[in-house]
Amino acid sequence: MAAENADVVARHRRVVRAGLGAWAVLIYAFLFVPIALLMLFSFNANRYGTFPITGWTLHWYEEALSNYQIQDAVQTSLQVALEVTMISTVVGTAAAFPLVRSRLPFRGGIRASLTLPILIPGLLIGVALLSYFTNLFNLQLSIQTAVIGQAVYATPFVILVVASRLEGFDRLLERAASDLGADTWKRLRYIVLPLIGPAVVAGALFAFTLSLDEFIITLFLIGGHNTLPIYIYTQVKFGITPEVNAVATMLIAASLSVSLLAFATPTLVRLARRRLATARPGTSAGRAA
Amino acid sequence: MIEPAGEPQSAGGAPETSSPRHTIELRGVSKRYRGTEALAPLDLEIRDGEFFCLLGPSGCGKTTTLNLIGGFVEATSGEIVIQGENVTNVPPHQRNVNTVFQSYALFPHLTVRDNVAFGLKMSRVPARESEVRTRDALELVRLTDYADYYPAQLSGGQQQRVAVARALVNRPAVLLLDEPLGALDLKLRKQLQVELARIHRDVGTTFVFVTHDQEEAMAMADRIAVMNSGRIEQVGTPEEIYARPSSRFVADFVGESNFFEVERRGDGTVVTAGGSPVPCSMGASSDWSRATLMVRPEAIRFAAHKGEHLCLEGEVLQSSFLGSFTRVAIACADTQAPVLATLPYGKRHRQELRVESTVSFTWDPEDAVVLDLQQA
Repeated sequence: MAAENADVVARHRRVVRAGLGAWAVLIYAFLFVPIALLMLFSFNANRYGTFPITGWTLHWYEEALSNYQIQDAVQTSLQVALEVTMISTVVGTAAAFPLVRSRLPFRGGIRASLTLPILIPGLLIGVALLSYFTNLFNLQLSIQTAVIGQAVYATPFVILVVASRLEGFDRLLERAASDLGADTWKRLRYIVLPLIGPAVVAGALFAFTLSLDEFIITLFLIGGHNTLPIYIYTQVKFGITPEVNAVATMLIAASLSVSLLAFATPTLVRLARRRLATARPGTSAGRAA
Repeated sequence: MIEPAGEPQSAGGAPETSSPRHTIELRGVSKRYRGTEALAPLDLEIRDGEFFCLLGPSGCGKTTTLNLIGGFVEATSGEIVIQGENVTNVPPHQRNVNTVFQSYALFPHLTVRDNVAFGLKMSRVPARESEVRTRDALELVRLTDYADYYPAQLSGGQQQRVAVARALVNRPAVLLLDEPLGALDLKLRKQLQVELARIHRDVGTTFVFVTHDQEEAMAMADRIAVMNSGRIEQVGTPEEIYARPSSRFVADFVGESNFFEVERRGDGTVVTAGGSPVPCSMGASSDWSRATLMVRPEAIRFAAHKGEHLCLEGEVLQSSFLGSFTRVAIACADTQAPVLATLPYGKRHRQELRVESTVSFTWDPEDAVVLDLQQA
């Protein structure tokens, strides 16, 4: 009786597990099949950028790379991304210090509100900044206004990453450095920055990828220029060309590799240090001999 | 070897305002944190080259005192003089003082060598000299082979020695040590006590050591300041503090002690609260009437025969053989806590001190320290 029961339970468990597995596969497919198809079509010789697959080619990549509009959009995208990265890394890192270390009243509230732009829809940020720039300051929309808009959105990510690293920072190290004769600047230069460095780099890479494929805020604020996402958008209005597929594939590859780098930076730094540490005692023994 | 810190590194400038025999002088230094007094105004002089220990329970102000000398805490009042220079308002990075922290605070991203060389780099010591001094410092703490390791790869004891080397390489006027052995296990702690004492002899720098462990203080210090609730209770050599404690707190904190509340009668006899006469060298002086007698356990002697002069009686509660000595606890009508006595190994047969047997005991008059003298 009991054994039979156990059998039933085991069978039931198997069915549930198989069901959950199938569900997981479905979700994965839902998330990734469209992207996979887009990548697939970018290598398809068929000039309508869809099934059937009539042959394999790199022609669309050639076409995309020699299209001066695309070249221009890539250049704009990179320029914007670099500027956004610089601004949000410096501002975000600087902001993380008082948020973690000061005894400001309402520190929790200040921190929450500073990281709020992550939750605010890009549409709102875009519209708000548009009216702020044009109505209030009579600014001409340009690459620079787009940079500011994206920085509003990207900075909180840097704050989050750097702040969480700073939380775990042993302040006694700074006291020790001070005891050994380091003034504020030297403490920052030799102790604090090297130790939070991986987090700052990770934050910068996040900002870079966020900027690279940011669309809504940029659309409102960039005026007559095109970043890559905006160029793609204007192209697909007239139907999806294989060329767009190729550009999108390259954009995905770039974003993915940068975000992977961002996630891997702390680990890579740690590994490199350990490697150095185990490699060097040998050399010192050589020196001593 | 690292040379003794002879002169301040800011040599020549500061006028000598005090006796050069004292490396550190605290004059009326106090500290309040938001209205509560962490340190009552205190005066303290620490001599050139001595191993000085601040001893006390947690919260007694010993770490605050150390932090005041190091410059990590600002004094509420008073002045701090290091090597004749008033440093009361000088920030830590400009003081000729280095610290070994309890948790070592080694820089995790730097090798042992770079950790040790950090202070020299900050004060722009030329590369060649820095290399030599770093090597000497590592030699001093016997870590030459670990120069290229990172702190995380070292044991606790090794990290502690790196911290000592990192501080001493700067040739400070004073080395401050904030419970540097607290995080280590007992055996290692004993080893490092010996090691630290050797390093102190080798470099001759003034050491100021903070601990709550009286045994550690006794083992290493030339002089000890016993602190309690923001005040210094007594300053003296370990022997002085053990043999002649100036207060009940000191007697209780340093070693074990028995206390007897006594009264002095008109005829000069000193009696316990229960009326039994006891030995006391202060019976002849007439300017007191009540006091507490402190007698160390090893000064308690058992009477050879009943009815010996000036003996107390009691019942043995426990007798524990502890190897080199036997410890006996005696319930005695004249004290509240049991009287503790220790007998060296082989001095007496254990059977004679069986539990529940009645014994009489006494002590030599000069072994009783008179505390808390009161007039009638």
